Amino acid sequence: MSDDAHLISLRDEVRTWLEANAPKGWRDAYAGMTHAEFAQAQRDWFQTLVRGGYAIPHWPKEWPGGGRSLAEQKVIYEELAQADCPRLLLSFVSTYHAASTLMECGNDTQKARYLPRILEGETWCQGFSEPGAGSDLASLKCKAERRGDVYVINGQKVWSTMAQYADKCLLLVRTNSEGAKQAGITFLLMDMKAKGVTVKPINQIQGDQEFCEMFLDDVEVPVEERVGEENAGWAVAQATLSSERGLTLMELSYRMRGALRRVAGLIRQHGRENDQGILRDFGQLVARVDSACAIADQFLLNRMNGIERVGDASVVKNTYSRVLREYSLLGLRLGGLEEQTRHAITYGDLNTGNWMADFMNSYAWTIAGGSEEVQRNIVAERMLEMQREPKGWAA
Amino acid sequence: MIELSELQDAASKAFPADQLRPERDAAWQLAAEMGWLMMPVSEEAGGLGLGRDASATVLCEMGRVLGTAPLISALLTVQALGEASELTDQQGWIERACAGEYIAMNLDRATISLGAGDVLDATLPAVPDADMASHTLVFGPEFCALVPLDAPGVTVTERHMWDESRRLFDVTVADHTIEPGMFLAKGAAATAIGDALRTGLVLAVAADSLGGAAACLSMTVEYLKTRRQFDRPLAMFQALKHRCADLKIELGAAEALLWARAGDEAATTTDIGSAKVLACDIFRKIAEEAIQLHGGIGLTDEHMCHLFMKRAMLNLQLGGDLDVWRERAGRQVLASFAD
Ligand SMILES: Cc1cc2nc3c(=O)[nH]c(=O)nc-3n(C[C@H](O)[C@H](O)[C@H](O)COP(=O)(O)OP(=O)(O)OC[C@H]3O[C@@H](n4cnc5c(N)ncnc54)[C@H](O)[C@@H]3O)c2cc1C
Repeated sequence: MSDDAHLISLRDEVRTWLEANAPKGWRDAYAGMTHAEFAQAQRDWFQTLVRGGYAIPHWPKEWPGGGRSLAEQKVIYEELAQADCPRLLLSFVSTYHAASTLMECGNDTQKARYLPRILEGETWCQGFSEPGAGSDLASLKCKAERRGDVYVINGQKVWSTMAQYADKCLLLVRTNSEGAKQAGITFLLMDMKAKGVTVKPINQIQGDQEFCEMFLDDVEVPVEERVGEENAGWAVAQATLSSERGLTLMELSYRMRGALRRVAGLIRQHGRENDQGILRDFGQLVARVDSACAIADQFLLNRMNGIERVGDASVVKNTYSRVLREYSLLGLRLGGLEEQTRHAITYGDLNTGNWMADFMNSYAWTIAGGSEEVQRNIVAERMLEMQREPKGWAA
Repeated sequence: MIELSELQDAASKAFPADQLRPERDAAWQLAAEMGWLMMPVSEEAGGLGLGRDASATVLCEMGRVLGTAPLISALLTVQALGEASELTDQQGWIERACAGEYIAMNLDRATISLGAGDVLDATLPAVPDADMASHTLVFGPEFCALVPLDAPGVTVTERHMWDESRRLFDVTVADHTIEPGMFLAKGAAATAIGDALRTGLVLAVAADSLGGAAACLSMTVEYLKTRRQFDRPLAMFQALKHRCADLKIELGAAEALLWARAGDEAATTTDIGSAKVLACDIFRKIAEEAIQLHGGIGLTDEHMCHLFMKRAMLNLQLGGDLDVWRERAGRQVLASFAD
């Protein structure tokens, strides 16, 4: 079968499967769910996808549903977006961040122990950020002391997404305070049920409790749970952070393209089909959303051809996050006072049509995963090669 | 099949980035020698049979160097010649046009009346480089024809544009009888040619804008890297870095959209119009910022900043203004979500 024919048949296969298996009417069912109910719904949906063979297309081929080429992965995500399925949020850290870290840097015992559990639904969270270490992640302070064959951890983590449901945590700790800050970091796999782990969900502006604080008091982590060597955790963390390159933003851009339907609905609902100003702003948004789709596609096509220039991912991310903001702002403008009335939030999507909630959620994309400003630094300094500021500022 | 990247390489070798505003007549000759005028003509008719993305690729490179030769109009008219159904000696016309005989067309909306006996009265605004053209193509309701610029009743007057990288002329035609063999097409076939010309113009201006935008941004970034104030290169100031990064990011998105649309045969004129919105808007923004970020030198006639700025401002006006395309894109998508 030619490449194209093969992808077309895969597309048909995924579409047919989704018609039979994707949760129907999930938006109504999810509206007003508690966060815990949402987490359960996510577990169920993940297991359905695992059974269908579409949950881990990026894993190697020994795994059921794994071994998909990037082109095949793209087809699968396009179809998930097209079918407007709930997004996989709860399993994201486990299937991408944890799995890639283990596959790239874990030892055989760790892989054999954890990869099957991830497929069975074990959930993971990421414990990188701290109150004092955000964009400057390498300045993290959460301390680990080696005592025999355990590390004893003391410190605090923050903004850890869905940590309240997690079984395991990808944890970055400081094992050496001398020398370069990157050189004293160690990467551990921490059991969330271990003694001394306290997780507190954080109340967020949209009424959600998506991320958590984590307090670690004398938590013991066995040395065999270390990934890579002691003090070599920074390089491991890079594997974690680059685990997902482009597919999510492509999927999300396509979802936003489909969700332009919601803006169109508002235009009709408010009788503004012939309001030239609104039509122009809508047309501008359409062009921007289409450009976000086009650049996400281009990034993936380049990767399929082995091309990835430094900064490309930053351009894609900032394009998406900006356009997402523009999208929600137009919705708010059209929605008027009604959208200032608090409606229950629907989990599982960023373009829900609850415009204030969508607007607030759009900040996740301009702040997390390397903020918009940090991406600008990358584009300026590494793509445009503008000179870096001298290091070593001291108050 | 010629790859777009090969075309791009050839164009950037023939017109190196450091030679802005190449002399027009030499540039025109070089473009003809490179075979560019044959790109839009089908292989059966002796052309290269390349798609609209090929023309866009070359035009983008010409935008980069503020190209002065009238390739936007020439590529469109040669394509129209290829699509002609009634033209006498069509093959001869195509050969001459491919070899460098320039057939012009108006880039702004014409006023046209075609009376009994095919007597034409017309005002054709914004005809590029009419001084070097033998004919101009007139496309009106249900007809498309060639008018010799030296015919009696035809006047050609240069407009003095702010943008000196292009020369535009106004052509008027009074009481001119179109010879039967000079019609490219009539009726629906002519309307189709006219539509293709209008769409092609939108794409061409968008491509030119992206080339200009990229060149202007890199010129500006290079300047910031070398200009020192406060004992450091200006490029080190984050306020300036972030402005440049945002321009680069917006340019990247505009480029992605344009190349996706240029390569998509199913893209509607409105879809191309959306690509023009982003392309011309980012060219305007980059050119506007370029002057600011160059400081005083950016206001001098000697520096290239203003040439980019003036071309960016002109491009906004060619091929339909951005608000028109925004509105059409809005209507198109609104209609697509009809339920
Ligand atoms: C929704 C969400 C989910 C998250 N999930 C997780 C998770 O699961 N696990 C985890 O470990 N972390 C998570 N994070 C944390 C995220 O990685 C940090 O928020 C991010 O790194 C920014 O750090 P900060 O919040 O401390 O902001 P700061 O770094 O304090 O930044 C504050 C402001 O200063 C700007 N700034 C910072 N440095 C620079 C600079 N060099 N130049 C210019 N401007 C700068 C920033 O862009 C921002 O605008 C999440 C965050 C969000 C919003």
